[in-house]
Amino acid sequence: MKKTIILSAIVALLCGCNPETTNLDIVGMFSGSSAGIDERIDDSFRYNDEHGMPVINATAEEYKVYVCTDTHVDFTRKNWERFIHDYRADLACPLALHLGDLINAQRHWDYMKRPLDSIPANPLKSDTLLAVAGNHDLYFKQWPEYLRLWKTSTYYAIVRTPAGKQDLYIFLDTGEGILGQRQTEWLKQTLGWADNQGFRHIVVCTHTHLFKRDTSQGHTSNMPLEETYALIHLLKQHKVEMFWCGHDHSREITNLGTMTSIIIDALEDPEKHPAYLIATMDDDPIAYRFVDIK
Amino acid sequence: MKKLSTLILLLAAMLPAMAQVQYGTNQYAVRMNIGYLHNITYGSHAGFDFGAFMPINEHFEMQADLRFTTANAHAFGVQLRPKFAVPVGEMFIDARLLAGLYEKDGFNDLVQAIGVGYRMDYVSVQLGMSTRLVIPYPYDWHDGSNIIVEPFNLCYRVEAFVRPQTSPWNISFCISNMTDYQIERLWQLIFMANGRYNIDEHWQVNLSALCKPTGMFHLNAKYYAAEVRAGFAYNF
Repeated sequence: MKKTIILSAIVALLCGCNPETTNLDIVGMFSGSSAGIDERIDDSFRYNDEHGMPVINATAEEYKVYVCTDTHVDFTRKNWERFIHDYRADLACPLALHLGDLINAQRHWDYMKRPLDSIPANPLKSDTLLAVAGNHDLYFKQWPEYLRLWKTSTYYAIVRTPAGKQDLYIFLDTGEGILGQRQTEWLKQTLGWADNQGFRHIVVCTHTHLFKRDTSQGHTSNMPLEETYALIHLLKQHKVEMFWCGHDHSREITNLGTMTSIIIDALEDPEKHPAYLIATMDDDPIAYRFVDIK
Repeated sequence: MKKLSTLILLLAAMLPAMAQVQYGTNQYAVRMNIGYLHNITYGSHAGFDFGAFMPINEHFEMQADLRFTTANAHAFGVQLRPKFAVPVGEMFIDARLLAGLYEKDGFNDLVQAIGVGYRMDYVSVQLGMSTRLVIPYPYDWHDGSNIIVEPFNLCYRVEAFVRPQTSPWNISFCISNMTDYQIERLWQLIFMANGRYNIDEHWQVNLSALCKPTGMFHLNAKYYAAEVRAGFAYNF
């Protein structure tokens, strides 16, 4: 009996450490095996330096941004395909965003990316989909796979309207629950630069959420408290209008004074209430609505 | 079977003696620590802690803590602990109020926590819940909508000691999401090691270390913060 218990414990431990047999990186819980934030930033900045930041041209002064998160694609991708279809069908949408946890675990990257090739894009409009890395996109050493398909995770994008007005979208990598010193420095510099550019709206997009105001505290971890407060302070100093994130899987809108933080629902297939967000960008404060997928 | 019976008898015989063990000190005490603190957000900084321990009577003790840091993030807290001796060890209720003053970032947070605990010579465990109010600073008294409330958070603490509580020295290892100066979210584990040595009846030296990783439940844990504190306590 004793031998059976010991043997079962060893087998369970080995299975928990093996990426071939489990979706959870148990070892990573104590010592992350994936690339750390500094290494990821180096890779992201290298790509940014070589290719520049994306600039997207909107065809009207008012346009829409489709935002989804936590698709956790593994063996099905129904909701993800629906999202791609919807944003591509909307002529007013030049930009779609994915806020991380694109896949559930290793081995599903190509399956996740395939609908982007198979669902036809509308040639009459810009068809840009930008993403940031979530924790599920990283553990079990998945950063090289993320990088192969999505290129960068710390960057910004500008959307220009025909009248020359510009909106700024800043993407931060919080896939391991931390911004880190170098990314924070880059964020400070970017926001300082943005102060003088006359952007109409500034939106910060990342994976990990700031607070959790429902009674559950969610099943997901945040950034440490010190970093949470420092980040909000920095964003408010530079008049960031919205903070869009995911990670927690359930919708929550938090008023942070001059800034609004929105946790967007997960879009993964088995989710009870999958939804995505559509933001309307014009000269007024950003308006948004959620689209529930039945 | 014989071995098991002997063990049970032995434990039963030890029960009255164990019940008389005093957990912690029964003397009023003040303490002061100075610490080197580091985290990814603030970098290296120094901390100065002051505390008072007040065993009001055999069923009730209080503790007050105050910390200043050169990173301009300060904290103060009060803990109230009704306690009840049980045949082995001691049960206690831990009610605490903790204020974090993150002056440089324009936030104050106020955490109320309550939990039940059990401590004996070598182990202490505690489980409870907390509510956090995050208050932007300066606060607009005419607009309460800016206060963020995280209504429920689980608090826990497991501490193992290498020596009995009555020993003149002791070392403990602890896993928790709370310290005397901060209550983190449920998923943010903090690892601590504490040591003390009683020089004489009144004077005691303390040394403690803390490590706070981040991303454990992102399954990609990395270093976030560490601190080392040293100081003394005076028992009246």
